Amino acid sequence: MSTTIQLGAPSGSSETTADGASSVPVIELNRLQVRFGNREILRGLTAALRGRAIGLLGPNGAGKSTLINTLLGFYKPVSGSAKVFGRDIHSDLRTIRSLVGYMPENDAFISKMSAVSFVQMMGELSGLPSEVALERAHESLFYVGLAEARYRQLGTYSLGMKQLAKLAQAIVHGPKLLILDEPTNGLDPSARQRMIRMIREIRDGKEMRIVLCSHLLRDVEDTCDEVMILKQGQIAHYSNLEEERRANKRFLELETYNANGDFAAAIEKLGCECAVAANRMKMVLADGVDTRDIFRIAAEQQVRIRRMNFRRDTLEDIFLKAMES
Amino acid sequence: MSDRIIFEDVSKFYGEILGVNRVNLSIPPGITSLVGPNGSGKTTLMNLMTGLVKRSRGKIQVLGIATDDPENLFKVVGYSTQFDAFPKGLTGFQFIYSYLCLSGMEEREAERAAWQAIERVNLIEAATRKVAAYSKGMRQRIRLAQALAHNPKVLVLDEPLNGLDPLARAEMIALFRASAAEGCYVIISSHILHEVDVISDQVILLSNGYVVAEGQIQSVRNEIQEHPTQILIRCDRPRDLAARLFQSEYMIEASIHKDGRGLLLKTRDADRFYLAMNELALDGIQIESIAPADDDVLSVYEYLIGNEEVVR
Amino acid sequence: MAVYRRSYRSYSGALTAPWSRFLVLFRYSRRDLFRSKLQTGFFVACFFYPVVCVIMIYLAHSVGFLAKFGIPPSILSIDNMFFFRFMSVQGVLAFLMTAFTGPGLISPDLANGALPLYFCRSFSRAEYVLGKSSVLAILLSQITWIPGIILFVIQASFAGAGWAWSNLWIAGSLLLGALIWIAILSMLAMALSAWVKWRVVAGALLLALMFFGTGFAQAINVVLRTDVGHFFDVGYLMLAVWMDLFKVEADHAISGGQAWIAILVYCSICLWLLMRKVRAYEVIR
Repeated sequence: MSTTIQLGAPSGSSETTADGASSVPVIELNRLQVRFGNREILRGLTAALRGRAIGLLGPNGAGKSTLINTLLGFYKPVSGSAKVFGRDIHSDLRTIRSLVGYMPENDAFISKMSAVSFVQMMGELSGLPSEVALERAHESLFYVGLAEARYRQLGTYSLGMKQLAKLAQAIVHGPKLLILDEPTNGLDPSARQRMIRMIREIRDGKEMRIVLCSHLLRDVEDTCDEVMILKQGQIAHYSNLEEERRANKRFLELETYNANGDFAAAIEKLGCECAVAANRMKMVLADGVDTRDIFRIAAEQQVRIRRMNFRRDTLEDIFLKAMES
Repeated sequence: MSDRIIFEDVSKFYGEILGVNRVNLSIPPGITSLVGPNGSGKTTLMNLMTGLVKRSRGKIQVLGIATDDPENLFKVVGYSTQFDAFPKGLTGFQFIYSYLCLSGMEEREAERAAWQAIERVNLIEAATRKVAAYSKGMRQRIRLAQALAHNPKVLVLDEPLNGLDPLARAEMIALFRASAAEGCYVIISSHILHEVDVISDQVILLSNGYVVAEGQIQSVRNEIQEHPTQILIRCDRPRDLAARLFQSEYMIEASIHKDGRGLLLKTRDADRFYLAMNELALDGIQIESIAPADDDVLSVYEYLIGNEEVVR
Repeated sequence: MAVYRRSYRSYSGALTAPWSRFLVLFRYSRRDLFRSKLQTGFFVACFFYPVVCVIMIYLAHSVGFLAKFGIPPSILSIDNMFFFRFMSVQGVLAFLMTAFTGPGLISPDLANGALPLYFCRSFSRAEYVLGKSSVLAILLSQITWIPGIILFVIQASFAGAGWAWSNLWIAGSLLLGALIWIAILSMLAMALSAWVKWRVVAGALLLALMFFGTGFAQAINVVLRTDVGHFFDVGYLMLAVWMDLFKVEADHAISGGQAWIAILVYCSICLWLLMRKVRAYEVIR
């Protein structure tokens, strides 16, 4: 009942990790099984994930939170093992926890404490000496954008600010892995943009790896280079988005303003397969055909091309396909 | 007009705090999205529309029914709030059934309607479990079911897709589309702008209690004359492309992307520009991708409402 | 000119010793403890009786002073009864102090789901409970056995080494009696604080438990014509233990040994209740 996925590292990312060894997987699962009473939640997961930002997707009840909770040591697996940066959760749990920063999905704050003391206390609980914790608390709060409000009590914060405070406490102790569970939950569009930008900055900074758990596929697409889709406790699909982006020069997506059936017909005459939905088209360019030919047809028919890019499947297509299988 | 939802000069103040100020709207059938930062008045607007909150000034009419007539209003309106609170101890089915009975439906009719609604949101297996044991997504769906159980013509949904996984989102969106196709008025508030872009027939942008823009997104965009269209083009020789484009009179600004393979340009005449692109592409420049940088809700939002600081 | 960009940097410096991390909780709770003037005032008031005791000890050794008023010295004898009375009074005050400060220990963490943030760090549930109870322990120690031992030392300095040696067991009883009382109070307060989200309600419940416990115990005794009811009265049980420790003879329905066991059982129940609630996740079926 276990699924094994052979996963390779994205080419060109043999970055050294925390202990200097090359390419220790961020997360390594080996036939991991977790049960609640007599319900099996994770049915023998096996995977080795190495990306800079790893997306964890799946319908509700698929086991995403359970997997995260198991990696954090809140649940004990019935059989199998899991390793974070090469440390086993059975034997090295405290080390793992000191390497990880966690931003839970639900509300997590102490309402009477100010942001600074809250983040400082969390830093001290992670082992930072008191003065260092205070310095880093201020730094983290500045970094996430709560500079002005950091002396106010957390109970007075808006939802977006509480999310940022959760992020600040997750990074204060300089973890090597950041686990974010629905970080953009409830945020308005500006705050969402900011959060996504920050996640991208953290990912590009190469200090921390990220595991992002979200229902918003667009968020995952914008930030992650590896995606693991869970369904009913098993791995339904794995995608290395980075590689896919590099590999696809034959699949084209178009959006037009005024194309009619003639446009698609002309393209198909060139030998390309074409699928049309409203004003959106997806096509596979045949050998010898490139974008110049498409533009030529557009010029002939006076079609205005609004959007064009090379892409195979969006994450949404991949997800829906994974759910159906 | 009794085929629209009408707000005439409506204001709502909570003491001295502004909810919404001088709102004028005429909402046709279809899917209408309310978009705006937190605190901009979306929930106030929805509460006004459903009569839960009394307006300070102005007139509101929903399909010809005044909002201070709840008996008649709620026969045609269904409301799903953003708050995740439920009466204690009820199962999913009991939750919907009891509210239907409360609103006057006869028992057998209510039972049938409840099961129908539960089926529409795909919660049949879980309907006999307590709501307290539901996951977040399931609670969201049972709230939606409660709003649609009596087949209202107007559905007012506050962040209905919050907490739903991608499959459930797609299902609910299909549900809204089906309702809209039957002539319902589906009013949704959402923060996920790319979804709003795809599913809405019209959009209402709110900021600080004022309606900043409303209508179909394309026409809203066209009305913002002073703001030229931005387009991002990725190609191998952006400088050549820029030089060629500058020779025409409709490109007014261009900047080269950091990595040297992209061009962000502004033009006053998007239509002529696109036609010119076709010609230029044939002239030896390899175009990798074209993407409009602001022809969607997100850009209109950013332009009109702006990137306000989170800290308020 | 140098321009400094502020960005995130990781930490690779020294860490504090793992065993000392529970004290972090103590330090942070201490800040809150004396924020309220009422609490600080009450804390100071708890030292009133010890000061009275010091005066009594002094008077007991100033025979001349007493003779002036014609008071025979035997009235003010500093013996096990004296210390037993001290323990009882300070015990009640300790209980009231707990009702003030206990509920605020765990409720705020539970109220907004902050517990996962504690346990996603290398910080165990045992350390959490230890840290929270150390707050109460240190506070209550300051008003029970610490002044008690100081009184003992003062008395010993007046009465001489001989008295001290033969009555050393009293010092032991002070310490042990106080520690048990502190333990049961802490357990009760924390268990209530963990199960009740609002501090005011938790505090009220603690008070109610004690007072109604007494009433309930009396009711059972009268109705069933037995002494078993006393097992529901924690105060009564503690008194029995103290009487045993201070070798005070009195007509008590429950023997010292039985009271000990009962108190231990209560502690265990509270600890179990506590551990059920203090965890990183909650599962509702």
